[in-house]
Amino acid sequence: MIAIEARELRKTFPVRRGEPVEAVAGISFAVEAGERLAYIGPNGAGKSTSIKMLTGILHPTSGDAAVLGIVPWKKRRELAARIGTLFGQRSQLWYQLTPRQTFGLLGRIYRIPADEERRRLARLGELLDATQLFDQPVRGLSLGQRMRCELVASMLHAPEVLFLDEPTIGLDLVAKARFRDLIVRINEEQGTTILLTSHDVSDIEQVARRVIVINHGRLIYDDRVSVMRRALLGTKMLDVRFEQPPASVEVEGARLVKLSGAGAKLVVDTGRRPIRSVLDDLLDRYDVVDISVADPPLEEIVSHIYARPV
Amino acid sequence: MNPYLAGWRLGFLRTIRSPGDMSVRIGFFAIILVVMTALWTAAVDANGGSLHGYTRTSLLWYVFAAQTAVLGVRPRSVEEIGDEIGSGTVAVQMLRPVSVVGLRMSIDMGEACARLIASFTVGALLTWLFVGAPPSLPALGLTAPAVVLGCAANIASCHAFGGVAFWLLDAKASWFFFQKLVFLPGGMLIPLELLPRPLELISFALPFATMAYVPGRIAAGHPDPLLLLWQLGWLAVLLGMAGAVFAAGERRLQVMGG
Repeated sequence: MIAIEARELRKTFPVRRGEPVEAVAGISFAVEAGERLAYIGPNGAGKSTSIKMLTGILHPTSGDAAVLGIVPWKKRRELAARIGTLFGQRSQLWYQLTPRQTFGLLGRIYRIPADEERRRLARLGELLDATQLFDQPVRGLSLGQRMRCELVASMLHAPEVLFLDEPTIGLDLVAKARFRDLIVRINEEQGTTILLTSHDVSDIEQVARRVIVINHGRLIYDDRVSVMRRALLGTKMLDVRFEQPPASVEVEGARLVKLSGAGAKLVVDTGRRPIRSVLDDLLDRYDVVDISVADPPLEEIVSHIYARPV
Repeated sequence: MNPYLAGWRLGFLRTIRSPGDMSVRIGFFAIILVVMTALWTAAVDANGGSLHGYTRTSLLWYVFAAQTAVLGVRPRSVEEIGDEIGSGTVAVQMLRPVSVVGLRMSIDMGEACARLIASFTVGALLTWLFVGAPPSLPALGLTAPAVVLGCAANIASCHAFGGVAFWLLDAKASWFFFQKLVFLPGGMLIPLELLPRPLELISFALPFATMAYVPGRIAAGHPDPLLLLWQLGWLAVLLGMAGAVFAAGERRLQVMGG
């Protein structure tokens, strides 16, 4: 069953005394019910605008879409009862109150019977390990704790589709990893269709099974994450700090891209040599003080997509 | 419980959980009452003890009720609504299966009711202390619903004025204009009978008089139920206007980016 379908969806914003901005330029795709889709692209690619059209907030300039068989901008409130949304940069919890008090209002908004609401809160609290946070004022929660409560708020009415717009933005590494795990568990245990936008490559690898990449409002890539990993995520970035500035850094499978005093940046081709082996080699041969491993930035992946042979 | 009633309850709880904010407001309100007592005492004394039928006592009970009704609403409400429309916060609120403006107004009304209870009690005690008993006790009883209706009309107007941000992306100019309308033709500064005749007639024809003048007039010793009907009529119109502005605005919302 198709949960989300977009056909030639286009959105142009008028600009006073200037050329209109084409934020989404004719995008078509379909998402099966129960899928976990990463909808990614660099800043300004049109991700959030697409989500706003698919949730009914924005009317498209042209094109068509259906979410759970409903045209979002025509029956926004009807659709709102069946979807959940989480915007990393917008809170749906009231700062002066406890999450439980906000959940109480949401329960009334979605007309959830009191017994059912209690049951769902207990279930979500357990699933997201958040029950102990429900009675603390929101203003006293860390960002990671707040995001877990935001996810409870988004899931309280048992939505069939969950739209997550940059949900991990601002979270530290541990909180990000935990949050990704929670999204996967929600999908696996409740069958919720997930559409996740992010410009963090790790979100894609750890949450999604399928990835759509958009740039300048156009769909430029649509495939399984495993395929993308092989084709486009074959590198890792190493940021290394040495005890003493080395004259040079030479490790098999790694390419030095920058050497500045005691710091160096290397790119590892993980297809040629596993990252663990490169790290072992580096630690054995050099006096390393600090090291960090990162995915290539999304902009690099986008340029790889454009550089692929057609 | 109805979602709008639940919104009202949430607004009420939110306000009583911020006692600091409420204390500052009440302190400010007490200062206004002290200043107004001095000013109006001087003005009434200079005019032989009465101004267009208002004595010192009735004028200060007028000031108490008019100020209570207006101070129940957050002072920068119109501007805040405009900011929330421009920043995309309202767009997120649209993702609920309820009326955005209806839920917002019910939450605002819950907040206002918490403030009104506190400021009505403290204000009435202070006014009694400064100028003695109200001109009519039944009038004081009728002042309470008039203050609530005045506040509701004010909140509905704020949403109608703030809703211009759907088109202009900002409601600062609208807020400036609205503030002045409540201040003068609304009767917050002085009773409408004290305005020059043409301005008085215009003010009576506008809805802003229901926000401050009507509660003040009743507290000044005129417990006329028709004044409440006048408020109810305008409240219905203003609620319709706020609903229409938001419905039209939501249809043409333009929010770029995340």
